[in-house]
Amino acid sequence: MDGPYSLRNFLEAGWIHGAIPPALLVVLVILIELAAPGFLTGETLALLLNNTAVLFILATGVTFVILLGGIDLSIQSVASLASVILAQLLPSVGLLAFPVAILAGLGFGTLSGIVHVKLRVPSFVATLATAGIVTGMALWISDGRAITIEEGGRAVTAWINATILGIPVVVLLAAAVGLLSFLALRYTRFGRQSLAVGAGEPAAWAAGINVDRTKIVAFAVSGMLAAIAGVILATRLSSGSPVLANQLLLPAIAAVIVGGTAITGGLGGVARTAIGALIISLVRIGMTFVGVNIFAENIVFGAVLIIAVAITIDRSKIAVIK
Amino acid sequence: MLQAQSVSKSFPGVKALQDVSIEVRPNEVVGLIGENGAGKSTLMRVLAGTYRPDSGSLRLEGEELRLRNARDAAMHGIGMVFQEQSLLLNLSVAENIYLGQEHQFLRFGTVNWKAMNAAARRQLAKIGIDLDVTARTSELSFAARQMVELAKALTLEEIVDRQLVILLDEPTSVLSASDIEVLFQRVRSLKSRASFVFVSHRLDEVLAISDRVYTMKDGQVVAEHEASSVTAPELHRVMVGRGLQAEYYRESRQKPPGDKVMVEARGLCLAGAYENIDLTVSAGEIVGIAGVVGSGREELIRTIGGYSAHTAGALSVAGETVRFTSPEQAVRKGIGSVPRERRVEGLVMFLSIAENITLADLSCVMRNGAINYGKERALAADWIRRLRIKAPGPDVACRKLSGGNQQKVVLARWMTAGSRVLILDHPTRGLDVGAKEEVYDLIRDLSDQGVAILLISDTLEETIGLSHTVLVMRDGEITARHDASPGNKPDQVELVKMMV
Repeated sequence: MDGPYSLRNFLEAGWIHGAIPPALLVVLVILIELAAPGFLTGETLALLLNNTAVLFILATGVTFVILLGGIDLSIQSVASLASVILAQLLPSVGLLAFPVAILAGLGFGTLSGIVHVKLRVPSFVATLATAGIVTGMALWISDGRAITIEEGGRAVTAWINATILGIPVVVLLAAAVGLLSFLALRYTRFGRQSLAVGAGEPAAWAAGINVDRTKIVAFAVSGMLAAIAGVILATRLSSGSPVLANQLLLPAIAAVIVGGTAITGGLGGVARTAIGALIISLVRIGMTFVGVNIFAENIVFGAVLIIAVAITIDRSKIAVIK
Repeated sequence: MLQAQSVSKSFPGVKALQDVSIEVRPNEVVGLIGENGAGKSTLMRVLAGTYRPDSGSLRLEGEELRLRNARDAAMHGIGMVFQEQSLLLNLSVAENIYLGQEHQFLRFGTVNWKAMNAAARRQLAKIGIDLDVTARTSELSFAARQMVELAKALTLEEIVDRQLVILLDEPTSVLSASDIEVLFQRVRSLKSRASFVFVSHRLDEVLAISDRVYTMKDGQVVAEHEASSVTAPELHRVMVGRGLQAEYYRESRQKPPGDKVMVEARGLCLAGAYENIDLTVSAGEIVGIAGVVGSGREELIRTIGGYSAHTAGALSVAGETVRFTSPEQAVRKGIGSVPRERRVEGLVMFLSIAENITLADLSCVMRNGAINYGKERALAADWIRRLRIKAPGPDVACRKLSGGNQQKVVLARWMTAGSRVLILDHPTRGLDVGAKEEVYDLIRDLSDQGVAILLISDTLEETIGLSHTVLVMRDGEITARHDASPGNKPDQVELVKMMV
């Protein structure tokens, strides 16, 4: 294992690390093309992208947090709460329900960030607790039931389910979120500072970076994007529910890690998460092909996450793994 | 008995040991001296099994010894008393002494605490110490903990069937004179049963306790003396490797400082660390602070760098009263820090040279609100050329650079940010001689440009050589101020008297 050609050294050569996810994606596309020629064209391709969009937006949000070396476990709860708020408010306030639902996500993300930074609570605990609070609120608001978006509400949300030039609006929204996030991470001061905090927090702090603010912003973005994902999910399913996004946390985090963003922070980005989200979606389709029970999906995603972290984690960066 | 033969060990950027050979004979105390960064601690860690040498070998009673870890070394009768104490502060004294050896006291699968406590008491009695073995280690004084460490090392006698070698890594650096005397008595009385390697940079102590003394410098053993046949000044000359050469510290480049006061402290206090500090640093002035561990000098410069806010008194920077609660605030007032822990606080090791240079101030490479990568690379390439940073290019991660080049990147960052005050915390730690000289040149350049500099350093010689003014701190207070103009540099021996 210690030789220059060992698997770990091979994986740790920088460019290899970055090249594996795209290669895996290509392999999956070829496999599916062989199994069902013509599957990835026209309507089925649009459906695939449509299905990937929500997962990608969730994963993009949590990418900001993982880049800092933290984790946000509240995203599926925030997404569900946003769906409930949207479905509840549509009849009375119409389009205004969208900003309210999204601001709620922003608020809870900010709250997680403040708890994590100011009270010095580890991010997985802070966001786990936030998830509990948020789910409780969603259950309370909805009285524990799914809220159907009725005829009137559907008229207001129809634009999300439409297509422009044959491209679903949902896909365009995801692309816009992805592009903005990419630009924010690569070209802004915040993006650079996130990378620095993730790669070496003490040095970033000593260089005069406001570490606390950087972290809070990342959690706020994560919460906001989770709410956007929840809103889109609600309009697609014409319903809001406190458990609407419940199976999405694991695949979203798996998408980030499989895409090649390091769980230890400091390395990765939104482009990688896009690749990761596509991989997860294709694996899901592949499972349907081979006839894996739909309820067993998360067994696979759990295993994928463990394997991806185990082979990519850079143990030289952390002395003790807790 | 225990030998190291041609041992070498490197870390990224540092050749810590080069072809080092030493020998420890039975019933002998071997002294090991050298300046900070000379490689003493690395050698100790190789002997104790926590570092594996890159080349060379260890021999125990003639047989080759390959140590995989500290436990392995212990099983061969090599015990270490660590510089940073290795006791777990949340455990009791007895639990610490028998940490990892609890199986001796198992009874029906559970630990017989009474037996363990009794055994721990016996161990302490061996070295004549009377302590409550059930007390939490965190409640003990530093000196008492040192004794517990020694007792812990001696438990090896019970499980190893040969004479022990006990490694004492700078055990005296934070002990008072009377505690040191107690420790020395213990070592002398144990000499009939064990050999000791005693590491220190206090020469008189080494001579008082040792039979033989090795001197290390820049990762090599440069001399071996019988303790009875050498004097402290002689050893000092060997250890430093040269007489006091004024030009080593670029003293001819030392010019009188400017008039503008950049940093001023009046009655500055940080509860528990320092009190009543008055100091001024003018533009272009280098103020060095001398003092031992615990003198409060580290905390003082960290206050000015924004790491820990003062609790009383007044601090002003360029005439403006300030109180920093984070480095961010200090950086905004034009203060830059070159931290001691270069690889943890100095640089983000996984980011590139360019990204590290712009870390404190991105604005000079921003265009229309976006980072301009071309401009950033050009800026970094410019610094690489001007400071002669040895690197393939501006995109290389800083962890791949040598220590001296890393330090240049840190300095380039603060020059990019336009810092008017620099805090240098052990700026040449771990650098080889050539890299040190380049850093000295850079420090003189900065001084010429009117940057006010506060310096603390590993060696007194460096502090004296570089500074315009030397302050001496002891127990949290300034005990002396010396002008250190060229030709009027204070004497090391005089300063040491004020330090301890």
